[in-house]
Amino acid sequence: MASIRRRSVLAGAVGLMAAPLAARAQAAKPRLTVISQWSAGSDGAAITALGKKFEERGGVWQHSPVPGFTTDMMNKLRAQIIAGDPPACSQLKGPEIAAWSKIAPTVNLDAIVAAAGYEKVVAPDLARLHKPGGKWSALPLQVYRTNTLFLSKRAMDKAKADKIPTTWAQFNELAEKMKAAGVAHPVANGGTRADDGQKFEAVLAGLNPAVYRKAIMELDEKALGGPEVRAAFAQLRKIADWMDPNTAAQHFSVFLPRFVAGEMGMLIQGGWAQGVLLNGGFKLDDFIIAPGPTENGKPVFVLNADAFIFWQSKQADLQAGQKLMAELVMMPENQTMYSQITGSIPVRTDVDLSGAGWSAGQVEAARTLKEAVAVNQSVLSLAHNMAQENGMTAAMIDVLTEFVKNKAITPDQAVKRLVEAVASAR
Amino acid sequence: MRRAPELLVIWGPLLLAAAHIVVFTAWTVWISFTASTLMPVSEFVGLRNYSSVLATRNWKIAFDNLIVFGGGFVAFTMFTGLLLAILIDQRIRGENVLRSIFLYPMAVSFVVTGVVWSWLLNPGMGVQKLVNDLGWAGFRFDWITDREMAIWTIVLAGVWQAAGFAMALLLAGLRSVEPDLIKAAQIDGAGPLRMYTRVILPTLWPIMVAVLVILLQMAITTFDLVRALTGGGPGIATQLPALVVYDFMFQRGQIGRGAAAAVLMFLTLLGVLLPHALFKYARRRRAADA
Repeated sequence: MASIRRRSVLAGAVGLMAAPLAARAQAAKPRLTVISQWSAGSDGAAITALGKKFEERGGVWQHSPVPGFTTDMMNKLRAQIIAGDPPACSQLKGPEIAAWSKIAPTVNLDAIVAAAGYEKVVAPDLARLHKPGGKWSALPLQVYRTNTLFLSKRAMDKAKADKIPTTWAQFNELAEKMKAAGVAHPVANGGTRADDGQKFEAVLAGLNPAVYRKAIMELDEKALGGPEVRAAFAQLRKIADWMDPNTAAQHFSVFLPRFVAGEMGMLIQGGWAQGVLLNGGFKLDDFIIAPGPTENGKPVFVLNADAFIFWQSKQADLQAGQKLMAELVMMPENQTMYSQITGSIPVRTDVDLSGAGWSAGQVEAARTLKEAVAVNQSVLSLAHNMAQENGMTAAMIDVLTEFVKNKAITPDQAVKRLVEAVASAR
Repeated sequence: MRRAPELLVIWGPLLLAAAHIVVFTAWTVWISFTASTLMPVSEFVGLRNYSSVLATRNWKIAFDNLIVFGGGFVAFTMFTGLLLAILIDQRIRGENVLRSIFLYPMAVSFVVTGVVWSWLLNPGMGVQKLVNDLGWAGFRFDWITDREMAIWTIVLAGVWQAAGFAMALLLAGLRSVEPDLIKAAQIDGAGPLRMYTRVILPTLWPIMVAVLVILLQMAITTFDLVRALTGGGPGIATQLPALVVYDFMFQRGQIGRGAAAAVLMFLTLLGVLLPHALFKYARRRRAADA
């Protein structure tokens, strides 16, 4: 009796072990393992919607989000690559695409991109970032502007102001007016490093985009130590003085209720803040979206773009899933759906933004992007890991976040530290 | 025949563990001399990673903070633990309950401690707000947003967590003092203060050293508490070496620099433990000679 039971248990176990192999052998059903940082909120909703589109086309969607900032997701990605088991698809952006494609093989997307005619409708600056070595390795999905100004309607009413500031001088005036009218903190912010970094880049790009390009994107020493950077720090000090000192490394979304209620006047954030505000239950009437202030009258667009990169896999179902995902990401309807949920603007320049579902802010941002590209004033964001690789970005943001939090550092000291940080991080 | 299983069971895992530590430490030291960024490579670059790490403000601030935090944490935890142990040793009622209550914080993970204390210390919603609402409008307790004082919030949370642990060990030590010694001291007319300072604490010395070493090790490797409490902030004011290592290795993708920072941390630890070991060795030699 006992020996029969043991044999049948062994047979059953072997059978169970063979089952997944049998299942995989049958299906070349497209399957996709994805990791990204979009676990919750409007971002999470958007990628879930994209996943539904994937499943509608018969695919199996396996998304494992890593909550936190982009670097947390990259840690998981690195661990999986080192273990020899990269996900079929992952979020990645900026110069990291070039750096990471050297450490693990990526799928060459040239054929798919050519078939969809995608390259014609992507801005050249953006396309260059996603074609390390001239071959398409990643597909940009959405574009954000990080130097977007959000104004609280109630705070504006309190200050009896109706003019949206277009230069930094006007911004300062409006902040003073708000402070005098009883708005406790004219500038709303979180306490995170990215927040401090993107304020600096909004200021510097607004003051002089050409210097921004030389100093931040090309790391030219003279430009980094020059007077424009010093002026940017001085303006950043003014902004820091208008912020609430009690924000201790908290995400900016924590303060949005106070922003909408009028206790905080203005928010310098990326376009995603629209998605976060709407997702938090606020209405488009509660705030005004405007381009960040610029000094030379021509539009400046500080660019942050998310992309998907595809890692080579030997499994047939994952390969099919990658093809399907690439096609879905390039389709204008999917980019429209994605951007409407998150508050970004689609990568494709041929998407018509006149329909419903687009906020005035998004329409204006898309128009600004076109104009900024035309006058060569569209630059890459530093705080969001577009302009430099992580190591250099982190070293520079150390200086920026210290400057914002420590009132005793003068702009001259900050400039010196920035130059030193760049030199030691090279 | 009996030797073989013993050898395997005892020496097998022991050698494996020792090899594990030695091999990976050696590998980290090796990596710190290479130009590794995202992945380990074997291009030798000498001391470039070390000079780069030592030159960053991150490291300078982290090192200063380590001294402040390490000293403060160990000193206050020992003091609080000793005080609690002495008080509980007075044969009070409900001793078991009180001991458990004081030891409870140790059961909480450092991350939870960090998060809860970050709420308590936040001026807008924690202790300061509570006291202000109660009527003392001028009361301020905003250390967590103050660059100079933020490190002391970490000391505060750390002492809260570890004092019970120190208390438990020191209480065991207090209870293990020979009763004859105490009786002799009482006969000689020593009051309670004299008894503690001249008789009991000196016999407690070895246990205090053990607690000191454990607390020091906790202090030097503190990572999750700082991450949860202040995130290294405000700005980079509460950075500690463990966070700098994590930052370089995982956030910035600069494994070589991270390994260099880790080796520097290790050298710091050696710098504390070596003199202690030498001191003990010298004492033993003197005792043997005498």
